[in-house]
Amino acid sequence: MSRPDEPEARDLVARLNAGKLSRRDFVTRASALGISTGAIGSILAACGGDEEVAPPPAETPPAETEPPAETEPPSETAPPAETEPPAAGDPADIAVVAAKAHAGYTVKVTYEGGLQALDPKNFSGPLWEELTGIKTQVIELPFPELYSKPIAEHIATSGAFDILDVPPPNIPSFVEGGVVAPIDDLIEQFGYGPAQEDVHPLYRALGTYKGQTYGIFDDGDMFALYYRKDIFEDPELMSAHESELGRPLAPPTTWDEYTETATFLTGKLAPDVYGAGAFRKQGSPGNQFAFFQQLRANGGTFFDPETMDAVINSDAGVKSLEQMLAVNKASIPGVEELDAVGQWTAWLQGKLAMIFSWPPTGRMSENYSQRDESFSFIPESTIVGKVGYAIMPQLNGEHAGGFVKCISADSKNLEAAYLTVQWLTSPSISLQRVTLPYALRDPYRISHFTSEEYGSLWPGAKDYLAMLNDAANNGVIDLIMPAAADYSFAIDRACSAVWGGEDPKRALDNAAAEWNKITDQTGRDKQKDAYAAFLTLPGATAENTIAALGQALTL
Amino acid sequence: MAAVGARARKPRPSGAERMILGRRLRVEGVLRFAFIGLFLLFLLGPLYWVFVTSIKPVADYQTVPPVWFPDSPTSIHFSAALNDLRGWTGLKNSAIVAGIVTVVSVLVGTAAAYSMARFRTGGKNLAFWVLSQRIMPPIAVVIPIFLIYRELDLIDNRFGLAALYVVFTLPFSIWMMYTYFRQMPVELEEAALVDGCTRWQALWKVAWPLAAPGIVSAAAFAFVFSWTEFLFALVLTSNEAVTVPVVISQFLAFQAAQFGESSALSLCAMVPALFLGFLVQKHLVRGLTLGAVQG
Amino acid sequence: MALGADATRRRLSQTASSWVDRHFRWLLVSPAVVLILALTIFPLGYAIWVAFVTYDFNIPGHAWRGIDNFKEVVTDPNARKAIATTAWLATAAVAIELVIGLLLALAMVRPFRGRRWLIPIFLLPLFMSPVIVGQFWALLLTEPFGPTNWLLGAISGSDVNIRWTTQTPWAYFSILLADAWQWTPFMFVILLAGLSAIPDDLYSAADLDGARPRQAFFFVTLPLLLPVMLVAVAFRVIDAAKIFDVIYVLTKGGPGTDTYTASYYLYEQGFQLFHLGRGTAGAWMFMILLSVVSYWLVRRLLKPVEA
Repeated sequence: MSRPDEPEARDLVARLNAGKLSRRDFVTRASALGISTGAIGSILAACGGDEEVAPPPAETPPAETEPPAETEPPSETAPPAETEPPAAGDPADIAVVAAKAHAGYTVKVTYEGGLQALDPKNFSGPLWEELTGIKTQVIELPFPELYSKPIAEHIATSGAFDILDVPPPNIPSFVEGGVVAPIDDLIEQFGYGPAQEDVHPLYRALGTYKGQTYGIFDDGDMFALYYRKDIFEDPELMSAHESELGRPLAPPTTWDEYTETATFLTGKLAPDVYGAGAFRKQGSPGNQFAFFQQLRANGGTFFDPETMDAVINSDAGVKSLEQMLAVNKASIPGVEELDAVGQWTAWLQGKLAMIFSWPPTGRMSENYSQRDESFSFIPESTIVGKVGYAIMPQLNGEHAGGFVKCISADSKNLEAAYLTVQWLTSPSISLQRVTLPYALRDPYRISHFTSEEYGSLWPGAKDYLAMLNDAANNGVIDLIMPAAADYSFAIDRACSAVWGGEDPKRALDNAAAEWNKITDQTGRDKQKDAYAAFLTLPGATAENTIAALGQALTL
Repeated sequence: MAAVGARARKPRPSGAERMILGRRLRVEGVLRFAFIGLFLLFLLGPLYWVFVTSIKPVADYQTVPPVWFPDSPTSIHFSAALNDLRGWTGLKNSAIVAGIVTVVSVLVGTAAAYSMARFRTGGKNLAFWVLSQRIMPPIAVVIPIFLIYRELDLIDNRFGLAALYVVFTLPFSIWMMYTYFRQMPVELEEAALVDGCTRWQALWKVAWPLAAPGIVSAAAFAFVFSWTEFLFALVLTSNEAVTVPVVISQFLAFQAAQFGESSALSLCAMVPALFLGFLVQKHLVRGLTLGAVQG
Repeated sequence: MALGADATRRRLSQTASSWVDRHFRWLLVSPAVVLILALTIFPLGYAIWVAFVTYDFNIPGHAWRGIDNFKEVVTDPNARKAIATTAWLATAAVAIELVIGLLLALAMVRPFRGRRWLIPIFLLPLFMSPVIVGQFWALLLTEPFGPTNWLLGAISGSDVNIRWTTQTPWAYFSILLADAWQWTPFMFVILLAGLSAIPDDLYSAADLDGARPRQAFFFVTLPLLLPVMLVAVAFRVIDAAKIFDVIYVLTKGGPGTDTYTASYYLYEQGFQLFHLGRGTAGAWMFMILLSVVSYWLVRRLLKPVEA
């Protein structure tokens, strides 16, 4: 048995990095050395692109944050699938064995262009080909085209795609339009059922529509609160906070507290540190996520389910928008111009005491992502080890975005396509994918949340995972129905109009009028059915989060 | 920058100020060069900032005061943009598309212009019709083109995009060459015809070489248009045929404000177009105005 | 001429080439005409059908809708606002560019040392993608990355907190800035050509008549420059009315719908929300509007060429 850090293996890695060894040769030789496929994948991932080597892990992160390959004894992982029959339970191995029958086929996979596509291009695609002979062709699309392209290709029945990366709001339209194939039978046939049970129930439901399964969830995009422990545990600030606000300095539990604490911290620490930051710039990626989150946390909903009139301009809606406005005032100056990356930059440079954002925040804060060149747009973290995690104020965080892997109904080889998805999302492979340094895929399985490997990536990683699970328990989901993009755009515009000086109530009244028009244009009856279906999903409102339904997962 | 407009009015001394001639000239000269200098600053400031951004480590991004030149310049944005984030793909596609467009547009445009200039083919109506293409808002064409291309499987296809660019550069090519041919003496071609040349030969061997300078500018215009165009490319390409402007725009879209990467790729994308720009300077005005103003 | 060498071949091709010669002029224009027909006229015709049916990725089928698509656009307050915004943004942009471009051309028309080098530098923006230009200004203006507020603060000695891309009216200002940066050189170079073409003896004559510089400007320069100026303005108006790229990069139409222009609105309808029927109907109306506005401009343009 050989470990990757032994001389031979090290030599292999060095040659791979120097470009003297192709990925294919590397995998073959590494297998010969007895390195598990899992470890090989991690090494390939850590090596990133072909040209430049990621900064050596030893430089910045503490020893505990070494990539999984180097801490994991190879004996833990199954030996290469070629040599032994698959372990009965591991869907990855089942997929590998069954997929060999399709060697030579090329699966065409859609991905959002740019960073998201690095995983299939650099890691999972090459590895899958090594294991099964199935090639992966990545089709990078801008976000709106993840909706339009599959529909267009389906109308043309071109068979241009095998696997679709589908944002959950697109699922109803895709199913109704026959764009995606149901996969319940395939799940049954290839023993994926238990692995589905391992997906957090909030997420599991997102791959289903009207009781059938159309896709496997693949990206747990929960918003959560990240705060600076060093600031929140500063004795002077703690006592000042207590005496000024009458409660201890702690992660806020309501949005009003959030504003108060942010204002307090800005008052004490500006201009070095501001109480909060947010991404409020129109279309980057949009204010709808934050508004939908707070609307539900404040007890609001989207429509009257009887009449389908928009009710976003209810008291809860107005209150949410006013709270958001108050948060802006308490935040770093220019917050209205910040996009998600701008917010991260400020956060990583230590200028913000609290932010809420997507899960990569946790990994970037510990400098885990920055070891890859492709993350060169994010600064090195100056707050390593200082970041605490909490769920959102008022419990309900938005599951903002996310991806479900679906099979195109026009795929020329449904089985190969399905097996690829099964392998990609299987507990063992998906764990590697969510721990890639450059990953934008976030933990979504119970086995991710409890993973020792993930939990040892940095000292606080266990807390991070526990928080992500908790956030999902209390999470609310994006609006999922036809014309979801129309509704979201209207909200985004309403919010940015308010940042520009518009009255919140008026802005929401306008947005509600726009919503009603969208509903009429899309078909009121049709939308009524769609909304009723949406309300059955966990997380559609604050009343039916996983936790409220009594199904909360404890790790 | 607003100051530019305000100061702009000053270089012309009002007639009311009756000064001695020498002094007036001096004041006027100072104002004149101050204005030129200000404009130069307005022009080069953004270029400098984009250059600095492209070599700036991200740690220097949000500093107060801003970092005007990084202590440790980095090339990481260039390598990330080009290698990891499709920069090369975009440059390659743009080059292919622009190359095709340049050749086809010039050939087709020259032929049509020659016919219109020498034989008054189609008369005023054809000329007007070609010119009116220049008014066409791209957004009006791109929606039906998108639907038609979908049927023809031409979406995300370099040739599909190139064909559209050819059409949108034709008013340029035709009108530039039209004015050129109109100024060229007809006698040489007539002599060739008398010598037994066919019409083709008269065009190919006599008129075409004489028009070479105009052809070079028309080609450069077609290239620059194809290289810089955004809306068509945004709608019609996404993956295989994605062009540089689209890649750059995606650095700034959705979640990722990848300033360094977008700056780096912008700088790379600027080089060929600027080079061609210098090349065609002499014919620039004619090109910009479709021959209406002779530069 | 290198022909006549092979008499046999020549005879054989005689019939063909005489046909070619007879139809020569039509053969030459046909590729251009066919391409334009195929890729603009045919799509626009096809668009007429699209504009009258349901063509929407949210709604299956293509049911006949009559003029409903048109109605939806006309009654959409966002669309009406976008047209108004387009009109005044284009006007303002062209006016700014004309004034600065003219002053610059006046300043540059007489030779001085370095002029030869300055002119190409002034023309740089004309060869850049508007996306890149929009990005320049995003980098300069967007908080907290951009240095603009800090610079203004340092100059004025007080804190400047302008939100250049997310607050009205600053968002307009930013767009105009980006547009002026790219297109003032256009005005400049055309007007410079126009100014250079004015014969010096006209000025000498004016001088002899005792005209002051200002009079010379208004009675000699301006009238002679006017046709050229009109051409430049016409081209700029036509292009400025189509403004899209800068909006896409800089403001995404925000805040609210304040910087939605016609092209941006139609792009969103068509390619972000996929209401293609509605988008097409809107695009047709926009095109007709633009054609009416541009008609006299184009007629104007044709004249110098006919002369």
